[in-house]
Amino acid sequence: MVYKLPASDKIIIEAGTPLIRKYGQKGITSLKNWWSERIQKPAYIIADLKCMDRSAQEVRSAFEAGASAATCLGLAPIETINEFINECKEKEIDSMLDMMNVPFPFEILQRIDNLPNIVVLHRGVDENEKNREKEIPYDQINRIRGTYNNLLISVAGGETTREVMRAFFNNANIVVVWRSFYESPDDTAKLAQDFLRLIK
Amino acid sequence: MKMNHNNPKIPKGIIINLVIIIATFIFVNYIAGLIFLITYILNSLKSFSKNQKEEFIKDVIEIENVDLLKNKIEKRKKYLQISLNSRLEVAQEIVLSLPKSDRVLIEVGSSLINRYGTMSVSGVKIFAPTNSYIIADCKCADLAPREVKMMANAGASAATCLGVAPIETIDSFIEECQKFNIDSMIDMMNVESAIEVLKKLKKLPNVVILNKGSNEINKQIPFYQINQIKGNYNLFVAVSGSQTIKEVQSAIFNAADIVVVGEDLYNSQQDQLVETFLKKIK
Repeated sequence: MVYKLPASDKIIIEAGTPLIRKYGQKGITSLKNWWSERIQKPAYIIADLKCMDRSAQEVRSAFEAGASAATCLGLAPIETINEFINECKEKEIDSMLDMMNVPFPFEILQRIDNLPNIVVLHRGVDENEKNREKEIPYDQINRIRGTYNNLLISVAGGETTREVMRAFFNNANIVVVWRSFYESPDDTAKLAQDFLRLIK
Repeated sequence: MKMNHNNPKIPKGIIINLVIIIATFIFVNYIAGLIFLITYILNSLKSFSKNQKEEFIKDVIEIENVDLLKNKIEKRKKYLQISLNSRLEVAQEIVLSLPKSDRVLIEVGSSLINRYGTMSVSGVKIFAPTNSYIIADCKCADLAPREVKMMANAGASAATCLGVAPIETIDSFIEECQKFNIDSMIDMMNVESAIEVLKKLKKLPNVVILNKGSNEINKQIPFYQINQIKGNYNLFVAVSGSQTIKEVQSAIFNAADIVVVGEDLYNSQQDQLVETFLKKIK
């Protein structure tokens, strides 16, 4: 799938949680090597660890595997999030705080010692399938950006071109998509081109 | 009268035929006997009650605890769960030094899973004593069906899901665990009230883990919730975060069924931990 994607630096590859659970560090390193080869420069790979505990150890493990960013759950204990952000700073990789199932992401940001580099606003896959009423919290994007200028916002959980456009229209910096690629891998190139056209 | 002293000659063909007939007779009888024996055992097993069947298997295979055949934990027993969280080499060393006891459970920690993938679960299973109960601490937060399938296929007897995950994820996690016949464990780390989460679920998990995260140094293990949960639900309660043998005893005293300890504590006690637990806590 990685080799089918158009070689664009606007595309970021994420090593998803199930991939990490299945292949561990090897999964992250392989993605890094494949995508770097494709774009002919060091690739930016996100390790979606969904860290909940032992954050320093988890960050070190992702860093060793070649990740450029790692994720921690906004639902984790505050001590875990603080240690996660500090360790990411030390290892010079981006810290991403995943706000899945967090009712007020703003509150978490107010309680932590240092800010992360990126905040991920989320609608979980299981939530999406079982509860169609749950919305991606677009309204949170400007609320967070209004207070914390330097934070980047990533939006996950939308899949259609309409949802992707809506996320960018609402000032998201990164949009995470996977299902459409996962369900029709043969259309990878076409799907990626469609999404790239939207964000120009 | 001249006697004919020459012995009457039996034609060679008849001898060969006789040998073939006798051999066939023995062989057919042997096979028939074998078939009869197998049919008899199978029929006897069918007519056995569940308990008799388990007794039979127990006698034949000589396994101490039949429940471990089903990879299930038992009520009325107290368990010590060793959490492996650093490197596979360290995990291997610890697992090889563990005594064979159905009261010692082995947890493949999330750090180990994130470093080595599902290979860590199957690897630990290989080194562990036969029929060990292996917990894959995958701390599932989303995409539950995929994580459960992965861990079950790697040989886990149980998997963990976060109590802070969306309710849809926890429901789907428990359902998938039942489908794959492994135990579901819900880790209540950073959950204010475990009982509130349990109330929202469609089905109950097998185990609830009351947790003090390794980063939460100043937090107390919420022992008071153990009886609160056990008073309302027929569940196993595990307690994680004990730093000393005294804290392990304290968890058991507070009615925990399973006490989870990290490999640091295990290593610092030089095998004394498991021995003391098995001897003093019944």
